[in-house]
Amino acid sequence: MIIDESTDRIRNLTEREFEAEYGASRYTCNVLANRSRFVAGHMSTNIVTRAFSPIISLNMDYVCAVVGPPELDYPLVGMNQGNFIFLGSLATGVRKTVEEFGVDRLAPGDLLVSNDPYRVGNHVNDACFIRPVFHGGRIVSFTVIRAHMLDIGGIIPGGFSLFKKNVYENGLVVPPMRIFEKGEPVKEVLRLFLDNGRFAATLLPDFFTINSSCALGDEQIQESVERYGLDAWLGAMRYSLDSSAEAMRRALQTLPDGEYEGEDVLDTDGADSEEIYRFHVTVIKKGKRVEVDLSGSSRQARTSLNATPLDAQTSAALGLKVLLDPQTPFTSGTYRNIDLVIPPGTISSAMPDASTHFYWEVQAALVNALINALAEPLGSRAIGGLYGSTNLHTGSGMTPDGRPWFSAAELEAQFGGWGATDAGDADGHTGTFTLNQRLTPTEEIERRVPVLLTAREYIPDTGGPGKYRGGSGFRKDSLFLADGDHWLMPLHFRFPSGFGVNGGKAGRVGGSWFFENQDPDKPECEYRLVGATDTDGVVVSGVVDENGALDENGEFAFFARVPYWTENKGSTLRWITNGGGGWGDPFEREIEAVIRDVRDGYVTILGALRDYGVVVVGDPDEDPEGLTIDEAATAAARA
Amino acid sequence: MAYDRPTELLVNQERVPAKGKCPECSEEQLFSYPVLSEGGWFKVVKCRHCLASLKRESDPVGQITIFSATI
Amino acid sequence: MQLVSVDVGGTFTDIVSVEDGVIHTTKVPTDLVDSARGVLKGADEVGVRDALVFNHASTAGLNALLTRNLPKVGLITTIGQRDILDIGSNIRPHEAIADPRWRRSFGDANRPLVPRYLRRTVPERMKADGSVFLPLDEDAARREIRVLGRCNVEGVAIGLLNAWTNGVHEQRLAELVREELGDIPVVMSHAVSPVAPEYPRISTTVIDAMMKVIYGDYSGRLQNGLSERGFTGSLNFGDCAAMLAPVETAMDRPSRVVFSGPAAGTTASAHFGRLIGRGNLICVDVGGTSTDVSIVLDGQPIINTSLELEPDMVVTTLSNEIASVGAGGGSLITVGPGGEIQVGPGSAGADPGPACYGRGGVQPTMTDAAVLMGILSPENFLGGKATLDYAAAVRAFESLDTPLSFEQRVQDAFRIGLHNIAEGIVDIVIRNGVDPREFSLVIFGAGGPMLIPSLLDMVKVREAVIPPHPGLFSAIGLLSSDMVFMESQSLMIPLDESAVYAIDAVFEKLEQKVRDEIGSNSSVAKFVRTFDARMAGQAFETAFIDAPDGDIGTRQIEEMVAKFHAVYEQRAGNKFESMPVEAVTFRVQAVVEMPKAEFGAVPRRTEGTPQPIGDLELKYLRDGEKRTGNRFERDDLLDGDVIHGPAVVHERLSTTFVPAGFVLQVGSLGEFVIELEAKK
Repeated sequence: MIIDESTDRIRNLTEREFEAEYGASRYTCNVLANRSRFVAGHMSTNIVTRAFSPIISLNMDYVCAVVGPPELDYPLVGMNQGNFIFLGSLATGVRKTVEEFGVDRLAPGDLLVSNDPYRVGNHVNDACFIRPVFHGGRIVSFTVIRAHMLDIGGIIPGGFSLFKKNVYENGLVVPPMRIFEKGEPVKEVLRLFLDNGRFAATLLPDFFTINSSCALGDEQIQESVERYGLDAWLGAMRYSLDSSAEAMRRALQTLPDGEYEGEDVLDTDGADSEEIYRFHVTVIKKGKRVEVDLSGSSRQARTSLNATPLDAQTSAALGLKVLLDPQTPFTSGTYRNIDLVIPPGTISSAMPDASTHFYWEVQAALVNALINALAEPLGSRAIGGLYGSTNLHTGSGMTPDGRPWFSAAELEAQFGGWGATDAGDADGHTGTFTLNQRLTPTEEIERRVPVLLTAREYIPDTGGPGKYRGGSGFRKDSLFLADGDHWLMPLHFRFPSGFGVNGGKAGRVGGSWFFENQDPDKPECEYRLVGATDTDGVVVSGVVDENGALDENGEFAFFARVPYWTENKGSTLRWITNGGGGWGDPFEREIEAVIRDVRDGYVTILGALRDYGVVVVGDPDEDPEGLTIDEAATAAARA
Repeated sequence: MAYDRPTELLVNQERVPAKGKCPECSEEQLFSYPVLSEGGWFKVVKCRHCLASLKRESDPVGQITIFSATI
Repeated sequence: MQLVSVDVGGTFTDIVSVEDGVIHTTKVPTDLVDSARGVLKGADEVGVRDALVFNHASTAGLNALLTRNLPKVGLITTIGQRDILDIGSNIRPHEAIADPRWRRSFGDANRPLVPRYLRRTVPERMKADGSVFLPLDEDAARREIRVLGRCNVEGVAIGLLNAWTNGVHEQRLAELVREELGDIPVVMSHAVSPVAPEYPRISTTVIDAMMKVIYGDYSGRLQNGLSERGFTGSLNFGDCAAMLAPVETAMDRPSRVVFSGPAAGTTASAHFGRLIGRGNLICVDVGGTSTDVSIVLDGQPIINTSLELEPDMVVTTLSNEIASVGAGGGSLITVGPGGEIQVGPGSAGADPGPACYGRGGVQPTMTDAAVLMGILSPENFLGGKATLDYAAAVRAFESLDTPLSFEQRVQDAFRIGLHNIAEGIVDIVIRNGVDPREFSLVIFGAGGPMLIPSLLDMVKVREAVIPPHPGLFSAIGLLSSDMVFMESQSLMIPLDESAVYAIDAVFEKLEQKVRDEIGSNSSVAKFVRTFDARMAGQAFETAFIDAPDGDIGTRQIEEMVAKFHAVYEQRAGNKFESMPVEAVTFRVQAVVEMPKAEFGAVPRRTEGTPQPIGDLELKYLRDGEKRTGNRFERDDLLDGDVIHGPAVVHERLSTTFVPAGFVLQVGSLGEFVIELEAKK
């Protein structure tokens, strides 16, 4: 079998040929291809403005999609532009769920649900909801929502524990079931979710909102089928898939043939510090065909630091899109010329009964490894490495006046620096390519949690030096005003994540510390505000010298040497994030840009000389506009 | 079904040599192995040299057999 | 009675003068160097000696922000918090989500409003409950202020963490700034926007400080200039919700008026809707680059509590909710990778403009498609004042690299552009949970009447209304609204009996502040209390819920809770009465009624039928669509006239296209009401 490989077949079709092939005119197919994406967008508008859970309404941890009917093999044809973590799971996950449930049992107004990662990818909190769209007694599409359920049971509220050893500790696993039948809620299935999850009162309204969003998409698709005819609707889907495949093929043409290897590494899985987790990616590119081979990657983890092959597929396709074709819309046709080779039992293809709760960390590492693999062949189009892990934190305890407190995924270091590109310097505080989430405001956290977020500031000389500088690392300090236990999940402080490209240098690696309050009876006003350069903390994770200060020749401190960190009130948790990679030779950076960085505190005077060969004179803090360049010394340093 | 954790630290995809000749580039280095692509899992026979697929057979089960789905 | 409004845009200044129901509109080029001079030039155009009000809006501040042609303003913030403005809310815009080259538009790696070295931190810290954790270190503060002085900043913004709960550190810092730097604009976050959380509040504070510097002695110069011209009426600014504020009030908090242009169109629609007896409107304002869509519900524009100037660049101020769709009259038509026609988001802009304008544009636009189709007629364009270059439009479409025939290109372009706008309208309808079948489209902006009637059936609205003067309709918005004074304050408190005293106190304080602002007018003002609230566990607020007047007791709080659930159900479609409710922000507005524009009645036709001014021959339609009809002149049409599509109606600044299958009826104020023929 030979797959079509042209990059401009569709363009070269005459109007007559086009209609013969797709059953409708170019115009109609174009309108309907856009329509699928708009429908997904409208479903998204509906859910985001009405969802109850903050993880949906604010962190937008969901996706809305339009998937084609069984006769087209369940392709993904339209999705909203939200988080990409769900990409790979959509088409295959929908097929698995629908086929197992039985296509013939479906009726208009039904809503299927399943959350089993081994069927639909991701983790158990990301339930997959599927509504068949009928027209004239026939399924013509599915409207699909994957959305993060605030809680699904399991050993820890919210579920964000790295230390879950298997699926049974995850929480509820729901095989394909009907949660709405002919538009009416199936109460016993709702009860199954509500009785197994914490925060049931918040969950309940979201089920109804999800159902109404899928119904909205259903109605809009039916209108389009009514207006343009079923042949056109189905033909437009095939057109949409073929267009994506062509777009990816065109993008691949810009990559020279060859075999390219790259790697990213996560520190440990949290079970012990011995086993390091490697993400080895080989990209074999021949003509317009690509194989992404994960052979040589580490075996699956003993904890929940795992993902399914569908999640790995997300990373392979997204990584290639980020590098080669960021703008065209995504469909399952994008995968057509990409074969993912993934041996069973790796960290990216875990087998039952492993837990895949932390799949997004695996996805981010895979994307970084792919970017790394293609750095050489892409040359000036290469992009620097990212900041690595989302460094989650979960904490709980009692306030001094006896109230329980709880905090999840807000006192972590979830964001960080991107790598620089040919477009210029990179930002220092952004999500991974797979995630796009809102930062919880400090003032919102401090109202709920006994904590003061005392610092979130960039650190000089941390962004990877280059003609264009990688995003800076930052320091995030949280001073706790109550005793508590803290679960910390930093996964990328052992090796640099922000590799440099095209002659650029790597961003500095960060770490995590507790500055402990040894005297819990101290009054609050005497709590110490830890200084920016203080180093007398207890290291949680990072490569440090004997005093606990970052030192690339030092020893790695293993964060899970205790199951959790019990800290007195008055203690400060510090994160320092990894800097993103630089792009291009730092000695070619414009002198004006170096001066500006020194003025702005992104680079020190020392760093300017060491990393950029620029001799800056003056006092950046006291007289930032009075900085000058010693031109002769700079010329000498750069020679 | 529960599977054992691999014993080797780094895991490789096994590629089984297959007989034949690539119709596109005439190379004889052909291998059979599973891939994940548009439409899910496939069992393929591919040319090592030009990546042309001589055979692509859809495999709805993939790597994992879910015990409860077999009832 | 004469009412005057002037809207200073980036390219043109629109002037509207209404006298006894007669609306006089004109346009002059904007004075980009001296914005006050531009406004006064507008005043000269219409004469202001007898004007009762002179309402105006200016985009000078907005343009300065968007182009970063900004005054040097320093920010003083809490120790450890230097980078709040670089991070924003951390979200990437949709179009950039997989783009590795994207940088936050206002981040330090791109084009920051305040470069990092002018963001200074001082040791101090408030807790969320308003208690002091770390007292202000005044010596350190003075040192930082002196650094700003050394850099010659023209204004200072002060934005400290949790300052909305306790403003004493900000007040003290403001005093220190005055001592060290003298009389320069200083803006405190707890005064300009006493609401949580930190990023939008501090962003607003910085933008407010910049606007203060930009507008500087603007109000003085404007007032003097108007006095010299004999003006004795009241001079007001339109704000982001097109509500009016006396110029002094506006200049006291200029972030309120940073983006007033688009809002005025919604308010003009609401006003005109009241005059013709329609309360539910979807307002569609078609510009050159984009189309702004907004909603009027029961006669009131839907209002947001904040506004985005660029993705995630936020100002906390009341604003009409407007969604922008990237398709307008000047949207460029291009070819996608499969040979298909695409419309936008690129635009030919004002210069060179569409190819048919003959000013050097070579790429086709929506307007060029309309020319080729025969909707715009080269002879009748802009009342005959300008000509259209038909051949240039042909060349532009011929230059597209696609296998599609010429005919197909033009036909596809026009319809795809309409589809894009229709989807944008559908999305805002869903966002607000309204049923479009109960709504009328109000169409304005020069290109609106040419494009929008054709999508009537795609969005399933009741009808389309084209008001008089659609090309300058937005400017009428400044003569369509009331003067509003307002204050708000965040106070996060569960709505139960424990909240009685706190809510009483906050309303009293806000009302007193508003009274002080209004001065002598306060006796005629109507006071309106509202609050924003959410259910426990909910992460976003439902805004603008009416609160009872007078003393707040247990019964009033129950009333507020009930009101919350009712409003929530209306907007979100669900009701959860068992969930506890928490108030977040309280607001007091004082409304002083203002004289508004009147639209003169059009005489009713007593005999005959409207006489066409020429034949209409349409091209590039779908097979089977009727291609011949008539052209009319709007001035010839009378109340009660009925015109069946296909037809075109010309007027000075725009052209209305009634497609086949649609029927246009002229209303008593000269408005066009367009419906599907089948419905009649």
